[in-house]
Amino acid sequence: MVTDQLKEEGISDTRVLGAMRQVPRHLFVPPGLRDLAYGPRPLPIGEGQTISQPYIVGFMTEILRLSPGDRVLEVGTGSGYQAAVAATIAAEVYTIEIVESLAAGAKRSLAALGFRNVHVRQGDGYYGWEDKAPFDAIIVTCAGGHIPPPLLRQLKNGGRMIMPVGGPFMTQNLVSIEKDGNGVVSARNVLPVAFVRLIGH
Amino acid sequence: MIPAVLLVSAAALADEIVLIRLLSVRFWPHFVPMIVSQAMLGFGAAGVAIQLSRRGLGTRPHRAFAWSVLLSAPAFDLAYRASLRVPFDPFLLMWEPSAWPAFALFFCLLSVPFFLAGFAVSVPLAFSLGQPGAVYGASFAGSAAGALLALPAFSLLPTESLLRVPSCLCLCAAVFVLRGRAGRLRVGRAAAFAAFLLVLALPPPGPSPSPYKDLAATQRLPGARTLAVRSGPSGDYRALLAPGIHIAPGLSLRFDGDMPPQAAVFADGESRGIVPEGGGKKPPAYLDYFPAALAYRLVPGPAVLQFGLRGSEGVLAAARGGAASVTVVEPAPEYAALVADDLCAFAGGWPASLRPEILAEGARNVLARETRRFDVIEIAGISSPTFSSVGIHATGETFLLTREGIGAAFQRLSERGVLSITGWIKVPPRESVKVLRTIRAHLEGAGFSPASSRVLVIRGWASFAIAARRRPFSREDIAQAERHCDTMGFEVVWPPPVAAPGREEPERKAFREAAAAAVAGPAGGWEDGLFDLRPVTDDSPYFHRFLKFRSLPEFRRILGSQWVPFVEWGVVFLLLSLAVSLLLAAAFLLLPLAFASHRTGTGGIPSALYFTALGLAYIVIELTFLKLGILVLGDAIRAAAAAIGGFAFFSGLGSALSGRWESVRAMKGRIFPGIALLATAGFFLLTLAAPHLLACGGSWRVGAFLAALAPPAFLMGMPFPAALSRLSRTVPSAIPFAIGVNGFFSVAGATLASVGALWAGFRGTLLAGVALYLLAGALFGRLDSGARAGR
Repeated sequence: MVTDQLKEEGISDTRVLGAMRQVPRHLFVPPGLRDLAYGPRPLPIGEGQTISQPYIVGFMTEILRLSPGDRVLEVGTGSGYQAAVAATIAAEVYTIEIVESLAAGAKRSLAALGFRNVHVRQGDGYYGWEDKAPFDAIIVTCAGGHIPPPLLRQLKNGGRMIMPVGGPFMTQNLVSIEKDGNGVVSARNVLPVAFVRLIGH
Repeated sequence: MIPAVLLVSAAALADEIVLIRLLSVRFWPHFVPMIVSQAMLGFGAAGVAIQLSRRGLGTRPHRAFAWSVLLSAPAFDLAYRASLRVPFDPFLLMWEPSAWPAFALFFCLLSVPFFLAGFAVSVPLAFSLGQPGAVYGASFAGSAAGALLALPAFSLLPTESLLRVPSCLCLCAAVFVLRGRAGRLRVGRAAAFAAFLLVLALPPPGPSPSPYKDLAATQRLPGARTLAVRSGPSGDYRALLAPGIHIAPGLSLRFDGDMPPQAAVFADGESRGIVPEGGGKKPPAYLDYFPAALAYRLVPGPAVLQFGLRGSEGVLAAARGGAASVTVVEPAPEYAALVADDLCAFAGGWPASLRPEILAEGARNVLARETRRFDVIEIAGISSPTFSSVGIHATGETFLLTREGIGAAFQRLSERGVLSITGWIKVPPRESVKVLRTIRAHLEGAGFSPASSRVLVIRGWASFAIAARRRPFSREDIAQAERHCDTMGFEVVWPPPVAAPGREEPERKAFREAAAAAVAGPAGGWEDGLFDLRPVTDDSPYFHRFLKFRSLPEFRRILGSQWVPFVEWGVVFLLLSLAVSLLLAAAFLLLPLAFASHRTGTGGIPSALYFTALGLAYIVIELTFLKLGILVLGDAIRAAAAAIGGFAFFSGLGSALSGRWESVRAMKGRIFPGIALLATAGFFLLTLAAPHLLACGGSWRVGAFLAALAPPAFLMGMPFPAALSRLSRTVPSAIPFAIGVNGFFSVAGATLASVGALWAGFRGTLLAGVALYLLAGALFGRLDSGARAGR
């Protein structure tokens, strides 16, 4: 997976590649789909949610430029896989899932794998995790097509945020938000390598 | 027996129309070809089954008839309930191998009621249980009644109870078969009837939307509760409130305030707008922070025309923009009532300063009829970041975004008026480019050149707004747009900034260049590129279809495992459903014939081609009329009811009377040429009359639509029974083969008609159907040639 789907498609951050190699993705998908866990595809995890394909997870993590001391907020825990990848690199990951069963499942999976630096909470991620803010990086996977103002406030100056946009199973594009040293926020659509190749046509 | 045939036929047709709605809510609106395929499969399989078991059935045909009627009664309800238990979701077809057998099972289950109903109607004909003319008459009258009954049922019953309509019709039919031929009540049948009555006592299953639909996602939010439900022929509308609802696609990053609690409104399970709490009393400030507000900066105090009620947000945004008046075109009165009445207390009513006028008509009907002019005409959200973003609407007809539709919108603009179109930016750009090209084609075609001086394009971080008008934008207009962008953190994309942009992100550069090329690049060359971004017309109104078949190898080559997001899901599903339906049709229609060919016999190549042509041609012409009916009648359900019911009625009439014209000379000389002539003439006359018809009242439009389809439909009812009658005299054992082949290609034709409309347009598809009828006509005299009798 790492060689075929990540390196070949342009992901080069050794921390990201290492984390993706280390985290057992198959333990975050339903038992019946484990054979497909490392394939280049998203998979259903129940409750109408999916686990993104490995490339998208790797690409989003790379965009965030995570460092070992970083504190990360994730909104939309889903299976917990993205949190696990981020937690392999960063110091602390705070992740919020609004659907109770998913939050509980992710908590179990992460605990079973010994991720003590991931903190899962069931709740409305729109308002962030105020008492643990500010964050160096924020991943938003469900935001009603906009960037919640409370999350922007909880992003450190110099922090990075990433938000995938698209329908179920299909990430159409990724929005990267950065807050500069003066607190000025900017957003841009960042493109996976394959998308970049395509827009040349 | 005759009343039972009538009621069963009515039930089968009502079930087709009801399933269109139920599957729209459960999945999405483009299941029409699949439902028609399912019906064709059921009817075809019934015909094959009867022919293959003629000897057995022939001993007690009355009994077979009675039990097929009885079993039909619970089948409509139970088959749908069973389908809910099948773990099928169209989204999984691409990812999970197990989804394929689930889809096949789902398809088969919904075909069962059609099989039973088809059996009930065909047994009396196959075994001459009554006057054939009376049986045919009852069948076609029943079909028309089913279509007529289904429409009011949409208004009278909640969506989840709609299957009561075919079930009740069939239970009424069953009453007529409880007695034997001697008039005595049959205990077994009465007991079955009583048992089946209990099915009606079962609580109806919920709408059960796919877990990937917007409605299901919102229902899962903690504390979610339904505020209001309405349903009618146009759709199923629900408003939900949950603390976790925060919807504002494309909101500017400059907005730092709070958003009020929102109720989300869904149409057939898809997000269709927001109602902010108390917004009517004080329209919330966040509504200023979208690119769409550009139109209100360019035209102060406008009279506004909006297409589609987006909850209350559109009206509230107009109020914040200082609109003098707002007229909203909302074809679904149920949706308007839900927002205006049911959510009135939550929404705080409409703003006192701006009470909207809501017109419950189709967009093109209003544009054709309206004489007023407007300062801002808004078409919002032509692409979205949610469920719709994956191309599920690629196979849906959108007559507002055709060249004719955009042209009609320009006609209603005042001198200072602006057409405002907004949407979500796709990567690579698609909807934005296609609509800009459509605007340009209209402006330049109408003599307003160059279009580039009459178009403004701005963008936010992920959404765009286009303002277009006939008069060129002035420097002051452009300066006004720049000020709006500076305030909100947006940027002007067209006209290009005076200073050359520095280093740009690839996506920003791609969007800017694509917009510039669409507005001011060389005209023509629009066939190039990986996506089909040519303006669409009323003849093939598939604005959201971008896929080119010839690009598929290129997608695979350059994108490897990433190609899926660029392939529209609606098209993928259409093709997948074609594959599955063909497999099933082969299994249920052709395979039994192959196994039984030693005793049933087979037709020769001419008869195989004849029944292939008939199977394809009938359904292709019927569905092409249906699609044109969506424009003329204003929505898909009414068009489906009128087209399916109308064709069933008039073709049934033709079938009943076919005996008078079944000679080779009459068929070849009159009937087939007549079909070709009348289908072509009816379709083209309706197309030519459409611009005028759109301004007429609903009953006139229905009348004109039925008048156009009635003559060809009447003649189209004749070739099938005429050919069977001919075979029955020459090679009767080849009849099962004929029915099987015809059924197989009818199943295929339903999907092929949609594929044809997508790529060849309505005219091309209709003419293909006509050509097939002419081919069948050429073969009619050789039906028994090469046929082989069974033992």
